Amino acid sequence: MADEVVIEAKGLTKAFTETVIAVEDAIFQIPKGSFISLVGPSGCGKSTLLRLIAGLIDKTDGNISVRNAEVTGPRKDIGLMFQKAVLLEWRTAIENVLLPNEIRGDVGPEAKQKAWDGLQLVGLKDFEFSFPRQLSGGMQQRVALARLLQTGADIMLLDEPFGALDEFTRERLNVELLRIVDDPEITTIFVTHNITEAIFLADKVFVMTPRPGRIAAMIDINLPKPRTIEMETTPEFNALIKEVRDVLSGHLDGAPL
Amino acid sequence: MSDVSSDGILKGVKELSLVHKLSMHLGVFVILIGGWELGSRLGYVNELIMPPPTAIGYRLYEMFFITGSIYWHYFVTMFEAVCGFIIGVSIGLSLAVTSAISPVFRRYWAPYAVVFNVTPGIAVTPFIIAWFGFGWSSKIALAALVCFFPPFINTLTGLLYIDKDATELFRSLGANRKQYFWKLQIPSALPIIIAGLKLAMTGALIGAIVAEFFSASEGVGILMQRFAFRLNMDGSFAALIVMSLMGLSLFTLMEYMDVKVLFWRRHSRMEEVSKKRKAKWSIN
Ligand SMILES: Nc1ncnc2c1ncn2[C@@H]1O[C@H](COP(=O)(O)OP(=O)(O)OP(=O)(O)O)[C@@H](O)[C@H]1O
Ligand SMILES: [Mg+2]
Repeated sequence: MADEVVIEAKGLTKAFTETVIAVEDAIFQIPKGSFISLVGPSGCGKSTLLRLIAGLIDKTDGNISVRNAEVTGPRKDIGLMFQKAVLLEWRTAIENVLLPNEIRGDVGPEAKQKAWDGLQLVGLKDFEFSFPRQLSGGMQQRVALARLLQTGADIMLLDEPFGALDEFTRERLNVELLRIVDDPEITTIFVTHNITEAIFLADKVFVMTPRPGRIAAMIDINLPKPRTIEMETTPEFNALIKEVRDVLSGHLDGAPL
Repeated sequence: MSDVSSDGILKGVKELSLVHKLSMHLGVFVILIGGWELGSRLGYVNELIMPPPTAIGYRLYEMFFITGSIYWHYFVTMFEAVCGFIIGVSIGLSLAVTSAISPVFRRYWAPYAVVFNVTPGIAVTPFIIAWFGFGWSSKIALAALVCFFPPFINTLTGLLYIDKDATELFRSLGANRKQYFWKLQIPSALPIIIAGLKLAMTGALIGAIVAEFFSASEGVGILMQRFAFRLNMDGSFAALIVMSLMGLSLFTLMEYMDVKVLFWRRHSRMEEVSKKRKAKWSIN
């Protein structure tokens, strides 16, 4: 059911050094199929939190489990996307999309068909055999998105996936991304700097504050779905923006950004 | 250096048609050679120091087409240089890969490679001759010694400095060490590895020729020295030109490999390969 917990953290802490505590005492439960936005100022520990969930780094303390199993390393059901596309320059778009299959050793007709379809889905028809250097930044991110879908992961950890792109392209890609992850089976954590975007997309917004990196608030977004651009001007929406801002500025009072 | 992306290094030079470019090259060449010849003819240049181009040209013509004496020497020196290159590069690459894989090896053994490198290879020639004798093997050994370092240090650098995000991507996909090595480390490092190979090629030729200068009975190096001892300057210069020719042909070979292998650094090659991959694609 919708209430099945997929990701659970209890007292999760990551300290790089004694003074650099990137994540402190994080406690949350993320239900299956939900979309979580993670906002917070630069350096507050958002990427670190995602890396902990993805099993890419070890925690210092506490617990983090996915599907009731302690995270000890990378998992097949978790897919990641970064600010950069991170494509292999010597591979064509479709060869990049097939990388997850190659690593698992299952490059068959099915995988190839899926990669092909994936590229059509992200709007890269006719660019299947282009090399990354022949593609624009936005197109490269689309390839990265197709590669993410190719992993078959149903937990998507997206770290400012379009942050390096211009405003227009970012907005368009966000809409497409939403369409794809709008699936009751897919659980998403989406890191962004943009509060409006965070609220617009999410079921719940986690607001993080720095030094030490803490989840200062978890705000439920009870706006009806599907969301429309018009909602962004409603009083409810503005109240939510204010709520997030207050958490952030409450913390930042007097502190340097 | 050559590990820089090759598109547009010469952006400052306006693109001209092939005929135009060739005639420009020819023009510069004629001015240089003509000036030199004229200087000799008019007695401004002492023929014992700088023989006129026509004399050198005649000597080359003689070597290649009348006596044919150059071919064997050419072959010997080329053979020594290429063998030395292959051995030196093999050693350099193996050391680099071992160092990249094992931090312990890197820490305790790799410094010796650096010491080896800063010792002028040419100064070791007498030892090499003493150990390997007067035949080809000493030339090959010196060539190998002189050329192993660039591939070593370049390969090591290339294998170690891998994009952090790409590493994380591979980890999150569950790649093992072998996959990480072959699918990420090696291709990422290829441009800088090939730059190292180019340096090694030139180094190997220098090593072979210097060893010949010391003691040899055949090869372009000793040929040149014999001419020089007899104060036969046109012969010496002709041998020098033959050396340039050797260097040029080896360099061209390396350039060809560069263009072939590093297709993703050149737009025209990328288009070619892209078409090929498209043609090869099949679902099954
Ligand atoms: N590998 C590391 N070693 C030491 N400190 C680190 C490491 N990675 C991150 N940190 C520190 O942890 C803190 C949180 O970093 P993190 O990258 O998680 O922030 P972030 O919220 O993702 O920032 P941004 O919005 O700029 O991406 C920072 O102070 C950073 O310097
Ligand atoms: Mg970050």
